[in-house]
Amino acid sequence: MDELNWKELEQIPIPEGLEERLEKKIDEWEESEKLKVKSEKSKNPHTSHLLPLTSYLKITGIAASIVLVFGLGFYFLNQPETVNLAEQDTYHDPAVAQLEAERALNLLAANLNKGMGQLEKAKAISERTEQTLNKQLNIMK
Amino acid sequence: MRQIVFKTIFVLAVAMMSLQANAQVKEFEKYADIKNVTYVFISKYMLRLAGKASAPSVPGVNTQSIMNKLTGIQIITSEEKTAAARLKADTQTFVKAGKYELLMQVDDDEDKVRIYHREGKQQSAVVMLSDDAGEVSVIVFSGTFTLEDVMKMTE
Repeated sequence: MDELNWKELEQIPIPEGLEERLEKKIDEWEESEKLKVKSEKSKNPHTSHLLPLTSYLKITGIAASIVLVFGLGFYFLNQPETVNLAEQDTYHDPAVAQLEAERALNLLAANLNKGMGQLEKAKAISERTEQTLNKQLNIMK
Repeated sequence: MRQIVFKTIFVLAVAMMSLQANAQVKEFEKYADIKNVTYVFISKYMLRLAGKASAPSVPGVNTQSIMNKLTGIQIITSEEKTAAARLKADTQTFVKAGKYELLMQVDDDEDKVRIYHREGKQQSAVVMLSDDAGEVSVIVFSGTFTLEDVMKMTE
């Protein structure tokens, strides 16, 4: 069936100059397409430099980070010096500071000693009780 | 991209936190501005200077061993009833929240002493709360010491 059709088609005579006319038409279309693109470019010259959206996001992110770092740095460097009483040394004389520090440490040591002293007392009582108990047990033996 | 932004913010946050790191226990800093409360702070720089100055004053107590390991001492005292009660309550809340361990409790007539301790990798602290007939005093020792260093003072 196909062979028959091809044969029939081959038998149809091709009009004279059809090939030239078709080529001419294709060239015309190509030319008009080029002109169309050119006119669009002249209307919007920036469109030719368009970057993909992801590149814009990256650039925006980096720019935002830089602005954030410099902004924070600038903000903190230009802060007026606030006086925080708690962060300042109460004493400016090391000798006075030493006296106060030692007083505090001695107070801590004294209280620890007080507690440890009671522990020693309890230990001594416990040892004495143990000794008495052992003595009595030995007598009973 | 997000990772870069997050990393930048994280680095900034860490840098700022390290700048803010202090030798003091922040919770007690507010007492510097409270009426009827005496707040004393001795920094590690002053302690270093003091440490070089002279020998220990009380026999049987070796404060020098711990002095070099301290990064700060805060002494807060109040005799006024309301302020003293607030200081005591705040301290108890603080030690509870900070998971401090009760190291010693001494109740001697009207003098009640509690010594709390917390050992950290970066900073340790000993808090001594004393209530002597209504006069409340809190002493906070901050530094890089261990519990053994504290107990060495009493040897």
